[in-house]
Amino acid sequence: MRNLLDFLYRYRGVLVFVLLEVVSMVLFIRNSAYQRAAFFNSSNAYIGRVLEVRTQIYDYFSLADKNRALATENAQLRQRLYRADLAARMPDSLAAPGDTTGLRLRADTLRLGLRPMPTRLVGSPLIPARVINQTLRRVDNYLTLNVGAQQGVLPGMGVLSAAGVVGRVRQVSEHYATVTSVLHSKTNLSAKIRRDGTFGTIKWLGEDPTHALLDYIPRQNKLVPGDTIVTSGYNQVFPEGVLIGTVDNFTKEPDKNFWTVRVKLAANFSNLTFVYVVGTPPRAAERDTLETRSGLRAAEQEGGRP
Amino acid sequence: MGNALQLLLQAARFLLYGAVHVLLISRLQLFDVGWCFFYLGFLLFLPIATPIVVMLVVSFLMGFSMDLFYDTGGLHAAAAVLLGYLRPWVLRILTPRDGYDAQDAVNIHQMGWQWFGVYLGLLVSIHHFVFFFLELGSFSAIGLTCLKILASTLFTGVTMLIVQLLLFPARRRR
Repeated sequence: MRNLLDFLYRYRGVLVFVLLEVVSMVLFIRNSAYQRAAFFNSSNAYIGRVLEVRTQIYDYFSLADKNRALATENAQLRQRLYRADLAARMPDSLAAPGDTTGLRLRADTLRLGLRPMPTRLVGSPLIPARVINQTLRRVDNYLTLNVGAQQGVLPGMGVLSAAGVVGRVRQVSEHYATVTSVLHSKTNLSAKIRRDGTFGTIKWLGEDPTHALLDYIPRQNKLVPGDTIVTSGYNQVFPEGVLIGTVDNFTKEPDKNFWTVRVKLAANFSNLTFVYVVGTPPRAAERDTLETRSGLRAAEQEGGRP
Repeated sequence: MGNALQLLLQAARFLLYGAVHVLLISRLQLFDVGWCFFYLGFLLFLPIATPIVVMLVVSFLMGFSMDLFYDTGGLHAAAAVLLGYLRPWVLRILTPRDGYDAQDAVNIHQMGWQWFGVYLGLLVSIHHFVFFFLELGSFSAIGLTCLKILASTLFTGVTMLIVQLLLFPARRRR
């Protein structure tokens, strides 16, 4: 008994401390429902974590079934999307003179080379035309269209197909027009990379009708195969943002400050049938004259001007 | 000074600290994260030789009366009892080379800046740490709670320092 009292006396501090703490905590926890909930919640959180891990483990065993279900669902969704895409697709052709397929949609916007173009814009309408003659394998290639001055075609207008840039009108007669195609040794088409807006110039080297060269892209620029090359809008021939082609491959040549970029042309020149002549925007002639007078145009020959 | 007088004096201090805290200080807030635990002054500035059991009981009473006002059950009491339990330990750690003299008290002028700073900082921060984490009931909002602890420790510490400098007699150091 005496020992017990001794013990109690010796550890009176700890004992009283523990006693009072327990009393405080009991009062505290019983007092507030929030704290009680918090205690249960924290224990729930640990249990919940364990259950979560268990679910993750079980998930591995049902992966095959889930994959199959997802693949089926994907197929269904793709089917739906495909239909929706067809319904929402923008027309890419207008009735051209000499078109024997019958009446076509009278759309007021066409999608030519990734860019929506108004078809009946006052001052610069879109003139549908059919290619009636074409060369492909020469050093300087030309097309002949079945539209002429009567339809409003003027020399210097741009020519697009639904896929992209084709060339520039060279000479016009009453009912016909000749076009210098992009596949021309003097082609000098102002272009830019759509991703980052770097400007360059499209040239054609003369051997391959499906590829052109993109020059003047500085070597420090990053290029990606498949980059979209569009017209820059710096010249008066084509509006900005019309597809020219995509980057096929690119190399660094040791003696040049620029990348040598091969561009796969978007327009397929081997089976061009219907094309569109793009009207020049108003005041283009004024700008042309000004730039020629101030010497800006001297070295630059655009769109394969012969 | 007789024991009865000493008892009366401490009772008056108890009431004074408690009243000032409840009536004035308890509404003060520092940027929504700092509170001043003014009533701790009573516990911190008790005589050094206070017996441990008395210390604990007094701490519990003080904390519990605060709980009554704050309507927090036993939160203040739990933290205050811990403070009361740890105070002798801290005092033992900080014992001068030749022990405490009979007339020594927790007094910034007597014990010096360094001693007082460590004493105050240690006890107040431990108390606030326990208090705010008990109040939280878990370890979920640690960042905010740590901010609260820091701000409140500074607030309470500075207040205690002011109390010391204003109210405690500047006796000549030994």
